[in-house]
Amino acid sequence: MKQKKFLKKYGFNIVLILPLVIFILGFTIAPILQTIQISFKDSATSAWTLNNYKSVIDRGIFGEAVFNTLAITAIGLVLQMVMGYLIASMLRKTFIGKGLARMLVLLPMGIPTMVSGVAMLYVFSTSGYLNEILYRLNIASIPIDWTATKLRSLIVIAFADSWKVMPMVVMLFLAGLEAISKEIYEAADVDGARTWAKFYYITLPQLKDTVTMTVLTRVVDLLRIFELPKVLVGQSTPFLATIAYEEYSYNNMGNSAVASTLLLGIILIVVTLYLILFEREKKVKH
Amino acid sequence: MNKYIKKTLFYIAIVIVCVIMISPVYILAKVSFSDKAEVLTQHPTLLLHNPTLEHWKNVFRAGNLWDPLRRSVLVSTGTTCLSLLIVVPAAYVVSRMSKKMKYLFILTLFFTRMIPSVAIALPISVTFIKMDLTDTVLGLILANMISQIPFMAWILVSSFSGIPVTLDEAAAIDGASKFQVIKKVILPVAMQGIAVAAMYVWLNSWNEFTYAMYLSTNSKTMPLMIYYYVSRGSIFERAAYATILAIPVMFITFILQRYLKPDYLGGSVKG
Repeated sequence: MKQKKFLKKYGFNIVLILPLVIFILGFTIAPILQTIQISFKDSATSAWTLNNYKSVIDRGIFGEAVFNTLAITAIGLVLQMVMGYLIASMLRKTFIGKGLARMLVLLPMGIPTMVSGVAMLYVFSTSGYLNEILYRLNIASIPIDWTATKLRSLIVIAFADSWKVMPMVVMLFLAGLEAISKEIYEAADVDGARTWAKFYYITLPQLKDTVTMTVLTRVVDLLRIFELPKVLVGQSTPFLATIAYEEYSYNNMGNSAVASTLLLGIILIVVTLYLILFEREKKVKH
Repeated sequence: MNKYIKKTLFYIAIVIVCVIMISPVYILAKVSFSDKAEVLTQHPTLLLHNPTLEHWKNVFRAGNLWDPLRRSVLVSTGTTCLSLLIVVPAAYVVSRMSKKMKYLFILTLFFTRMIPSVAIALPISVTFIKMDLTDTVLGLILANMISQIPFMAWILVSSFSGIPVTLDEAAAIDGASKFQVIKKVILPVAMQGIAVAAMYVWLNSWNEFTYAMYLSTNSKTMPLMIYYYVSRGSIFERAAYATILAIPVMFITFILQRYLKPDYLGGSVKG
């Protein structure tokens, strides 16, 4: 009787939500557990083992991939947060051609990541457009190979990624800045606060939710960066996601699973650390 | 005086930002219309001197374009339709749940959005090989849905939550069944949110690259085609293909701009 009542009340709801739950369980949760399992299993005997991890650590390329993945995240994040904030605060002022500037800043939103990668190839190739502009401005007479060193490759990829996501970051900052009431600034002006003091004591704390949201989305996407390195630098600069694919394409399922598991672990650790470090005081306040 | 210098510097900064934002797009389009001599040189020209349709003609004549294009359209459209079918009813139910349950659901979605595609693609591709789903449109649709369903659910739960429950209750008092409530009340009111979500999902699947890499051996989608020309080093084909890939995206984003909410981009739900 009780069951019947329950079914009558919630049955239809369950029918409506079930496909989604089944899909997420079958196509997201199950595969992710499988990947972790593959990473701990011997590919020949399927016995539990740590050999995949050992063989991976012995190969220097994995350490390099971990380093590159963390480095691109740090470089990209700093670039995107600083530029995003600066461009957003510029776009808040009134000036001639504001509409056009806003449209151009939002333009990369309409460009697929793959396409932005191809466009950046023309910009950063040795006989590309950046070298040509530097040459014409008499800054560099010999063309620079932008992907010759690891640091340069990382910066090129970080720049390409920043270009592509700038609209999103700028829009988030614009919305965040919009929400700060002007009265706080007026009060600060009356008290004679300097520009940097206003930024540090008013803007930053008031933008905290915006910053958290932007940082989290950007960090996760930067850590799993895949398309841009594949297009821009090929295999010369390995990242965890690209290594996972390379190993898969050589049929080394175990190693690919190790790279994926490491990547997932790093993402979870970084996100948790961020939330613990920067969201703790908020919880205390409430 | 100081004020004028400040203003000048401000305009210079704005111009630099605008130039940086537009030049990659300009260069891409420029290369696809450029004479070979203008590009394949130590010092490429910055302006288009001898526009030519040669590369575009080559792309259309080579006949490699139509198959990937058809495939990409089928996969994106299929992903959008199937995702809508699964997500719209579920998002409605979730939007009417208690705050606690809603929060739990959102948290799960947030977690699935953190998972890297490569980690899911590996076992999926192993399974799909067994089931003969690699290189099929259906296989790609199912794979694309993995990342698009949480995304769509995120947007739709947020937009359904904005519809007051009193509207459902009023309809129920008038004798409407739950199914009728969804069909006659929720769908018309939420049409804009659903359309925006559908367009986003279509775009994301149109651009999808990772799963396509894992699940394709012979047949290619448009992003794979571009990657193929990039790895072959074909300077002009990749520009033309990239432009073709970008055209529907620019068109749809132009429409979407009016309805764009930063919430959708960050993927947050308020309340």
